[in-house]
Amino acid sequence: MNGWRAVRAVALRDLRAETRGGELIPAMTQFVVLALIIANFAFDLDRVSAPRISPGVLWMVIVFTALIAFGRAFAADRENGSLDAMLLSPAGAAAIFLGKALAAVVFMLVIEAFLLPGMAVFLGSPINLEVVAAVVLATLGMAALGSLFAALAARTRAREILLPVLVLPLWIPLIVVGSRAVEEAMGGGALQGQPLPLLLDFDILFVVVATLAARFVLDD
Amino acid sequence: MIRDTRTLRLLALAAVAAMLVAAYMIFIYAPQDQVQGPVQRIFYLHVSSAIAAYFCFALVLGGCVHYLVYGNLVADRLARAGALVGLLFTINCVVMGIIWAKPIWNWDPTQTWDARFTSTVVLGVVYAGYLLVRRFASPGRSAMRLSAVVGIIGFIDVPIVHFSVQWWRTLHPGPIIEQDALPAPMLVAFMVTMVCTVFLAAVMVAIRYRLELEQEARVLESSASLELLPQR
Repeated sequence: MNGWRAVRAVALRDLRAETRGGELIPAMTQFVVLALIIANFAFDLDRVSAPRISPGVLWMVIVFTALIAFGRAFAADRENGSLDAMLLSPAGAAAIFLGKALAAVVFMLVIEAFLLPGMAVFLGSPINLEVVAAVVLATLGMAALGSLFAALAARTRAREILLPVLVLPLWIPLIVVGSRAVEEAMGGGALQGQPLPLLLDFDILFVVVATLAARFVLDD
Repeated sequence: MIRDTRTLRLLALAAVAAMLVAAYMIFIYAPQDQVQGPVQRIFYLHVSSAIAAYFCFALVLGGCVHYLVYGNLVADRLARAGALVGLLFTINCVVMGIIWAKPIWNWDPTQTWDARFTSTVVLGVVYAGYLLVRRFASPGRSAMRLSAVVGIIGFIDVPIVHFSVQWWRTLHPGPIIEQDALPAPMLVAFMVTMVCTVFLAAVMVAIRYRLELEQEARVLESSASLELLPQR
């Protein structure tokens, strides 16, 4: 199908630009290390407090790295005009949006691949398959909404302010359910309901809604 | 929409009178609550504000969808007016809820962050974001289109926030009106307050609509004079 080829082409283009330029991922991994150091001192972590606080630290770091990563995704393309060039091609706005969101997911997964072992080393958090699943599922939904609003904010004057203000309230469901899933997987609380299927439901909803809305945000 | 200034003035006076009637119903007509005491009287305006805000946000949703489908400028202006008035009523609702929660819950964080409080605050933040997009986007079609997307997605997200927080934990008093647990005089007082508050909200939207119209005319005028400049 032509649409899927366009999605893949846009995603591969973003990934290639990152592997050649190497801007985002080195900076983000430094950010992750610094955030963990600050968390260690700000919360004065010890053996008793670490298991209670570390799920919160995990989500704070993910949210702020995601804001920087998604904000970057559209800002650069808007500045050098490559987004307009892509929109001139026969590929639809939805395909371009999905391709950029997919690349953003890959960037976030690479950063999380540093963050989760970092959590294990610095905070002694137990990292198991359920934690990884919750983080990956939440990342998918966050990338869908985050890329849409990054594209939107990139068209305004104050994109650095507007992106967090718009997207953070919409991420709350993912963070509520994701933090419960991680807390439970790290052995912090009793199981209530099924967080992972719920996260998957949110992902499907947000990906569909964001893709439908992409046409109105990208096209001039 | 109403453009005549005199009609708008009369409507504003009628809204003030309606709110005085509501005040009479709340403070004099309605009986004192035996368990909560006078604090319970907050309930009438608190719930009415929430309902008025929901009406406003329904207007925003309708306006945004109508604008995206048909490109209707009236729909966009109505959405803008609705967002501002709705935000005002949301803030009123939250502040009154906080005042009520001081003697009843004593602001215990395990009780304060319940589903309704959280989702109402998120609702307010989403529509504040809607208004911010209008301010930061370049004026005209672009601002209308971008904010319409925010208005629609925000409306979809709020019930999900409510559901996810409720799934987490909740303590807010249940929907007592639907359960028929409210005594008749209190119900009458509540209904009158609700009708008056919704009327007030509608008048405020009409006034705001008129202001948006004037603002648009000013922007058009200044951009038209800018276009004329090089010819002079």
